[in-house]
Parts: sequence; structure tokens; C-alpha cells
Amino acid sequence: MSERLEVRILKRLPGFTLEVAWTAGDGVAVLFGPSGAGKTLTLQCLAGLLRPDEGRLVVDGRVLFDAGRVDVPPQARRVGYVFQGYALFPHLTVADNVGFGLRDLPAARRVEKTAEVLERLGLAEHARRLPRELSGGQRQRVALGRALAIDPALLLLDEPLSALDAPLRRALRDELRAILSEWRTAAVLVTHDFTEAYRLGDRIVVYDAGRVVQSAPRSELLWQPASEPVARIMGIRNVLRGTVVKATPDRIQIRWRGQLLEAVNSPSRSYLPAADSPIAFFIRPEYVRLIRKDRGAADPSHHMNLMEGAVVGEEDFGTTWSLRIRLDAPGAAAQGDHDLEVEVPHLVYEILEIDRDRRWQFSIHRGSIHVLPA
Amino acid sequence: MSPDTLDALALSLRVAVLATVVNALVGVPLAYLLARRRFAGKALLDLLVTLPLVLPPTVTGYYLIVLLGRRGWLGAPLYAATGWTIAFTWYAAVVAATVMALPLLVRTARAAIESVDRDLEKAAYTLGRSEWRTTLEVTLPLARNGILAGLVLAFARALGEFGATLMLAGNIPGKTATVPLAIYTAVQTGEQSTVLVLVAILTALSCVVLVAAGRLGARAT
Repeated sequence: MSERLEVRILKRLPGFTLEVAWTAGDGVAVLFGPSGAGKTLTLQCLAGLLRPDEGRLVVDGRVLFDAGRVDVPPQARRVGYVFQGYALFPHLTVADNVGFGLRDLPAARRVEKTAEVLERLGLAEHARRLPRELSGGQRQRVALGRALAIDPALLLLDEPLSALDAPLRRALRDELRAILSEWRTAAVLVTHDFTEAYRLGDRIVVYDAGRVVQSAPRSELLWQPASEPVARIMGIRNVLRGTVVKATPDRIQIRWRGQLLEAVNSPSRSYLPAADSPIAFFIRPEYVRLIRKDRGAADPSHHMNLMEGAVVGEEDFGTTWSLRIRLDAPGAAAQGDHDLEVEVPHLVYEILEIDRDRRWQFSIHRGSIHVLPA
Repeated sequence: MSPDTLDALALSLRVAVLATVVNALVGVPLAYLLARRRFAGKALLDLLVTLPLVLPPTVTGYYLIVLLGRRGWLGAPLYAATGWTIAFTWYAAVVAATVMALPLLVRTARAAIESVDRDLEKAAYTLGRSEWRTTLEVTLPLARNGILAGLVLAFARALGEFGATLMLAGNIPGKTATVPLAIYTAVQTGEQSTVLVLVAILTALSCVVLVAAGRLGARAT
């Protein structure tokens, strides 16, 4: 894959240092991480609104910044910027907002181009309105239209959905995805919401405290977070710590809470920790299986990583139940009052009558225990 | 009304209008610099501009004499070169009114400019506008009501200026005697009817100004 975007930034600010390097190919690169990790600062550097102390920024072979040599001013970068909160000019109509960056075009061409963008974004009927007269979703489209009208070499979006209500967010996330793929502009999007990052991004760059902790295609990130901190930033549940018993290129045995767990090792990563060393891993709550009692005793040769415990708490999430499980093992529970969080659909919860029956056997396929390299 | 009364009114209006124009030309750029730029001596500049707001007007007037009087730092070379001095001319009344009104405009306009979302300016930069064009097309239009409110206040202050005007321009009927000075003279000499007319006019004007500034201020937020 050819890289369209090359980012290397060192910027020292009072009390914070941004030091990142990453590249991205076609599509949308998402900068994901907690607030204050340096994501917006990166966008500002790309737009030319903030000058890095060191580094190099290249978009499709065009050098926008090279410390001490090149610093293209923001006016000449042709970078479209959708600000958090949109930053629409409140004193200008929708059409004047969208046409704002087209001042250098002849008047007739400018009108034509503005109308074309408004049409493509379904805003034609609102052309003469002021931003304050629009809904949140319409404002987002105006902000997108204004940034896209200049035919940007790169589109930057800072938390484009954070100004919206939850139900609207979901609809507009998909609309935004459609617009981005239709326009085919290289784009960098900032978010602290992993669902948003996963839905909108082709590549996800994980930021933490001014550094990149992982940069990977989105599916790789989802299933192979590079480390325990990345897993925690992603909000992954059941991030656990055990002890290595034995590691081979395709299996890792882990001792945890008195159980001997067997996990799949990734041969591509060739991660071979020494025996007795600490190891972090995670188990997605929806991949823990409850063993039905009406089908006879559990068979250890069939049910991998078999264990037993009790439901000590539960929460209703509307379509799923989240169960807190405490295993039958001495010692402190791994996560406060419980060892594992298990998620079951409402239907399963009802059929198995979990509200009355609190003791269960569980099994976890070895492919569902994901090792987090140290 | 006596000719002196009419002269005082005409002079006051001329002085206040001119002082407001100079305030707009000097004060708005100054407010922008103080709101948006960082530079050496910014705190000092801020202090100098604001000082007339708290100093007794006669003290400000004294400084103006030291600066512009016939033997002043700037006044002396000017007098040597041209034989002309600004002291005791109606221009001096304009200078005094301008300096006294400036802090009101600068403070109001600065607050208005500071309240403009910086992301709007950044957006304009990424859309190809220079800082200068951005100021004209985005910042100032959005700060407009605050700036106008500041100008209205500056006009009112210029119209009512007394102490500094007296120090630098004197109280020469028909030449430098603005309405406030004419009122003072009229009280001293016991011309009751002149006092009443002038006081009524200034009171009415001040009311209009306060209402106007209030409306502009309300729309600015």
C-alpha cells in the first residue's frame, strides 16, 4: 500500500510534549485516544496552525513542513479542517460559509461550485440560512462542505460527532462515512470513542500522553492490541494478568486465579515470554460461554478452559445482560468483586433463567483469550 | 440661547466627533493587538492606555502638557520648527478628549474581540485568508456590536471631558470652552438659564448614549 500521509512531529509545550510518527495510506486515518493525548495538536500541525519544533509532514508527496526548510503557511496548504463544534461563521449564510474558501475563483465559477457542493450534501434548500437556524446534523454538513469545497489535498476532522445527541450521532456517523468514501479525500479524524474510530477509520493510530502507542489497520487493532495500555485505552473489558506456564509459537499456557488457561499465540508476533513471567491478556465478555445444564455434564475435552463460579452482580444494557462472575477460587477476585465480566443476549438470559440460577460453568475457547505482549 | 452657548455646543460636538473618529482609528487596532497578539511591552502599553481611566483628569492633563506643551517633550521641537503649539487651541481639546476616551473604547473593543472564537479565525486561515483579511471579514464583523458600544461610550466620555481639557486647552470662550467648561463658567458667573439649557442637553445626550450602548451590548452577547 502506498503511503499518502507521512507525519513526524516533535512539539514541546509547557507541561506537555507531543512526539509522534505515523504514516497512513488511502482512506481515513483515525487518531484515537483519551482527551489531552495530543490528537488535536497533531491536526493543528497538519493544518499549519501550530509549528512543530522538529519533524516532517508530507501529503501525497507534497512536503508541507520540514523543520528549518519548509513551512507552507495554512493559507496555501489546501487542508480542509472541520473543527470541533464546526466553527461556522455565524454572520454568513450557509452558501457564503461553503463558498468562503473559493474567493480566488471567478464569481460565476464560485457560485457554480458552491451550488454543486450544497447539492451533493443535500443543503441546497438551506443556502440562504444562517448557521444558528440549522440543526446539528445540517451544521456538520455545512462544515464538511466548507472544508471540501476547496478540493483539499487532506481533510481534517476534529471530533466531528461530539457536538451531537446520541441518537443523531449514530445516524450521522454512517452519513459521514458515506461522504468520506464518496469524496475519496485522504482524511485524518480525531475521536476518543472507539466505536466511532472503528466505524470511520481504515487505519487507527492510538495516542496516549503525546505518543503513539499503536498504529494499525482497524481490524488488527481490534483483535491484536499491541499492549495492555492500548487495550485499556480502547476500553476493552476483562483485561487480566496471570503468569506464564509455558509458551510455544502457537500456544501459551497461563496460570490465573487457580485455573490453567490455554490461549492461542500469534505465530506472526513470535511472542515467547519466559515461564513464570507475568503476562496480560483479555477475554471479550461476549466470548465467554455458559454451559447448559440440560445437556449433561461438561466435557473437559470438548469445553476448553472450563471453570466454575457464581453470578455476583448483573446489569441490564437493554439488549444484553452483563454478568459479574466470581470464580470458585481462593484469594482476591481479579476485578474488585468479580473475576470475569460475561455478556449474554436477553434471549439467552431468559431461556437459561439466569435470574434464578446463579451458579454456572463457563468455558472460553483458546482463540478467545488474547495475549497482550509486554 | 446666547452665541457663547451655541459656540460651546458646536465646539463640543466637533471635538467629541473628531475624538471618536481618532479613537476608532487608533483604538480598534490597539484593541486587536492587545486581544490577539503577544509582544514585548504589551503589559506596559495596556497600562498606558488604561491609566487615564483611573488617574484624576487633571493629572492626565498635566502629563499632556509635559508631553505637548510649548516646552514639552514633543511640543518644544514642534514649536522650534513651526512656531506653533497645540496648547490652548481647540485641537488640544480633541487630544485631551481622545486620550480620556481611549481606555473606554479599547477595553470594550478588546473584550469583544477576545470573545470571538479563535477557531473561526483558524478556519479562515485554512480557507486561504491572510490574518489581515480574516480580521476584516471575520473578527471585526463579529466584534462589531462591542466595538460600536465602545465607540458610543467613547463619544460620551469625549463630550463630557472637563479636567484634562481645562489643563491643556484652557477655557477660552468660543475657542476651547466646550459645554462642560461653559457650564462651569456659567455657574461661576451666575447665568442660571445657560446652566439649565446646557445641563439639560448633556443629560439628554447621556441618556441616549446609555440606551444605545445598552442595546448594542445586549446584541453583542
